[in-house]
Amino acid sequence: MSTLALLLTQSVSALSQSALLFFLGVGLTLIFGLMRIVNFAHGALYMLGAFVGYSLSSWSGNYWLALAGAPVLVGLFGAAFEFTILRRLYRRDAHAFLMVTFGLALVVGEAVRLTWGSDALQVAAPPLLSGVIFLLDEPFPVYRLFLAATGIVMAVAIWQFLERARLGLLIRATSQNADMASALGVDIKLIRSCVFGIGCGLAALGGVLAAPLVTASNGMAATVIIDAFVIVIIGGMGSFLGSLIGALLIGFVQVFGNYYAPDFALAFMYLVMLAVLVVRPGGLLGKEA
Amino acid sequence: MRGATRLLIWIVVALALVLAPLGLPPFAMTLLTEAVILGLFAMSLDLMFGYTRLVSFGHAAAYGLGAYACGWMLLHTGMPLLFAVFAAGLLTGLMAIGVGWICTLATGVSFSMLTLAFAQLLSAISFKWTSVTGGSDGLAGIPRTIGPFGFAALSSKTGFYYLALGCLVGGFLVCSALVRSPFGAVLRGIRENEAKTTALGYNTRLYKIAVVAVAYGLGGLAGALYAPFAGFANTELLFWLLSGQVLIMVIVGGAGTLIGPVLGAAFFMLMEHQLSALTEAWALYFGLIFIAFVLFAPQGIWGLATTRLRRATPIARRP
Amino acid sequence: MSGQFRPSRRAMLKVGLAGAATVASPAILRLSAEAQTGPIKIGLPLALTGALGSVGQQQKRGAELYAKLQNAKGGILGRPIELLIEDTAGNPANCVRKAQEMVERWDCRLLTGITLSSEALAVVPKLAEWDSIFISSDNGDGRLTAESLVPNFFRANISGPMGTRAVSLYLRDSKLQKFYALGLDYAWGHNSVQVFEQEALKGKKEFLGKIFAPTGTKDYSPYITKIRQSGADAVFLVLQGDDNNAFLSQAQQYRLPEKVKLLTEIVDLASIRAVGDASLGLIGSSRYSFTYDHPLNNEFVALWKKEHGTFPDTFEGEQWQCMKVFEAGITKAGGIEAAKLRTALEDIEIESVKGKVHIRKCDHQGVQQGFMVEVVKKQGFDTPVPQVIATFPGESTTPTCNTMTFKD
Repeated sequence: MSTLALLLTQSVSALSQSALLFFLGVGLTLIFGLMRIVNFAHGALYMLGAFVGYSLSSWSGNYWLALAGAPVLVGLFGAAFEFTILRRLYRRDAHAFLMVTFGLALVVGEAVRLTWGSDALQVAAPPLLSGVIFLLDEPFPVYRLFLAATGIVMAVAIWQFLERARLGLLIRATSQNADMASALGVDIKLIRSCVFGIGCGLAALGGVLAAPLVTASNGMAATVIIDAFVIVIIGGMGSFLGSLIGALLIGFVQVFGNYYAPDFALAFMYLVMLAVLVVRPGGLLGKEA
Repeated sequence: MRGATRLLIWIVVALALVLAPLGLPPFAMTLLTEAVILGLFAMSLDLMFGYTRLVSFGHAAAYGLGAYACGWMLLHTGMPLLFAVFAAGLLTGLMAIGVGWICTLATGVSFSMLTLAFAQLLSAISFKWTSVTGGSDGLAGIPRTIGPFGFAALSSKTGFYYLALGCLVGGFLVCSALVRSPFGAVLRGIRENEAKTTALGYNTRLYKIAVVAVAYGLGGLAGALYAPFAGFANTELLFWLLSGQVLIMVIVGGAGTLIGPVLGAAFFMLMEHQLSALTEAWALYFGLIFIAFVLFAPQGIWGLATTRLRRATPIARRP
Repeated sequence: MSGQFRPSRRAMLKVGLAGAATVASPAILRLSAEAQTGPIKIGLPLALTGALGSVGQQQKRGAELYAKLQNAKGGILGRPIELLIEDTAGNPANCVRKAQEMVERWDCRLLTGITLSSEALAVVPKLAEWDSIFISSDNGDGRLTAESLVPNFFRANISGPMGTRAVSLYLRDSKLQKFYALGLDYAWGHNSVQVFEQEALKGKKEFLGKIFAPTGTKDYSPYITKIRQSGADAVFLVLQGDDNNAFLSQAQQYRLPEKVKLLTEIVDLASIRAVGDASLGLIGSSRYSFTYDHPLNNEFVALWKKEHGTFPDTFEGEQWQCMKVFEAGITKAGGIEAAKLRTALEDIEIESVKGKVHIRKCDHQGVQQGFMVEVVKKQGFDTPVPQVIATFPGESTTPTCNTMTFKD
């Protein structure tokens, strides 16, 4: 393989990986930005998305339905959880959120196992996306291109949503100063439910998109939760753009790092995080120092 | 009568713990010893978390480092048990000064993530540095070496229990003294309002580094006790899951009370052990229990216990 | 990572064991009268939940069917079998605690079904103190019969080195010349890759290089690229569980098998189901397959189908075989007392679902045939099946005593 072909295929692979990481991170950062909740259950919700996606796609025979349906269903579940339980905890210590999301992670994790079993389940990509294209004569999966494209499209969409849409503006306003927003007549309770739901839905989207690459399995939650935290911290907790940058950075570092220096594979993410936090303790674009 | 009742309860509990080996069956003693070790581990985190509001996502680093250090010393040098345990704890505390120095460059969630980064890096090192740490196999068959001073009594099951209990009590006394001292007052100042404390002229960062060192040192002592107790040390002891679990132990026990986290650790371990014996779906109930605690018993176990005992203002830690 | 015999560590282990045994426990735990005549308790501290939950569940099913059918025949020596099954979630600390409870509280002295090698390695040094016998049904770590060997440990299953050796023997006659290796970055992965490298060189093949991926890797693209670039004819994979599934799915997406043949150390049904057609053409060693043609296996498969409606998978078969070894040993010893059982198990030979199994006295490894399978589509089955393509006698696939190396 020529060096150019190598760089090209690796870069597109990295981009596809960054897309998945972005979906994980953006949900977490939105939730933290608005509610100061560190959501320990984020990985479990990602996993739930993959399994719900499995059920939808095997029941309907249509992956696209799973892709649209899983985030919505998990998002609704998240909003319901916020409405019934989290809502009571805003006046309390941060401890409360740590423990309640820890509990949620356990419950969701085991509920997934009870519902779908211990075995890993196949979620096939749709036939349209199952082929390969040739990048400089090297075969490259169409599905990964689709992932990269979806990442870009969603990043732009979320950005525009936050910038222009009414709900987006309300979310940003409430994140900056909840009391003020409330005084101005914003229904913060509704915003919080929406944001938690959206955050969970985005995590689930990541899960259902990842499933054709890694299968829907019980070990999924544990493998992504740390990645999600690292991305968000590097970018700056609460910053949408930060989560995008974090995802890109980690995606590229991992793909190129694992290729050129596989011995350090375990350590890359943390070394990058350490480097960033030492120089900018709040993360690259964060406000909290 | 409050003071007298309290003293009486302390005496009863102390007697029960000291006399336990006489009455309890062997496996109950095994569980109790492990609970004591975990209790020390959780209590050490409470210094950081409950008293100074330093949320650590990487406290397993202390435990694992202590366990590996002690395990290595017991396996490869002829060091007797007592010395290895304390040496490992001391070593962990010293290394934590460096950890604390870097982590306290940040505050809030960034601080937490830095502690996590250290724990994960330590975990990666233990995974790869096979010649010293045994890699993914870890260190196995850790002996309870008697040594030249004839501490034979400590190596037996009962003796080891007393060693662990002694460390827990000693650790508690140290922590109690610290939090009651002027040092502790500054910690509480940092917890309530760091900016104000700095404005009062205290170098809050130094205090934070100090508390991190003590907390990690005691956590390392707990880990150092675990290695000869279980006979092994492996990468799971450095894993983020354990860091998360010990944090939960502190919260469910009652942060900022020192005793609460010890109870929380015992509760956590026993619940997990018993539930998993009852049903495969134990994690579901386990999670529900924590959610229930958050909703209905926010002060944790210690809060429940003292409210019941006193019927007066519970030991509340207001945000 | 060295696969060599390290005497100093072993010596330390022995010293440690002696120290622990004589000092750490009051006296060797005596077997109660009830334990000597009552039900035969066999403890399984399994990983029933968590990432390796599917393996533990298989072991559980294998043991349960055995106990059910054997008890219907009156148990062993007229005593019913009682299984103590608990979930460790794959955590060695939990495993040691639960195993200790089984021994100390329930007087259960027979252990099996410890899912992870790390759990097994944590439990094994305590066997002497507990006066308990542990027969492994799935632990593949070569060390367990080499430097970490203790008298009360027995292995009824095929180990990592044995599986790797079967692959290597198969390759000796094949046209494939240049090999690359990808393993999971922990003891088992390193161990098996090292054995493969040694064997490849012995077979006058070219070993081009190796690479290791951490467990939990989600993106195998850098590794796939490396393999493709190496110029190898085939790649030897030492992966399992989620990592295996992720790699196979992604390798197929990158069309890697078209250029580089995929060889693997373990082939199991759970993986085949998880990745579907991405497993077609995979060639590897099998620790157990329902497709072995042996009268005892055909009988077992029929019984399994009747009970579960499916075909038995790798660890279900391995656990079944392990229980049969227990049965033979206990029957020969006339009881479950550790010293007698140990002597009875050493050199015992049984006829099992995989053919003849002989437990070697020198390192307690069960010497048994090695099987090579290829995953193919077959009429009448809705998922691909592992078809046997070669078998090797146990004597040639089992390493020399106490080591992870082979004579020729």
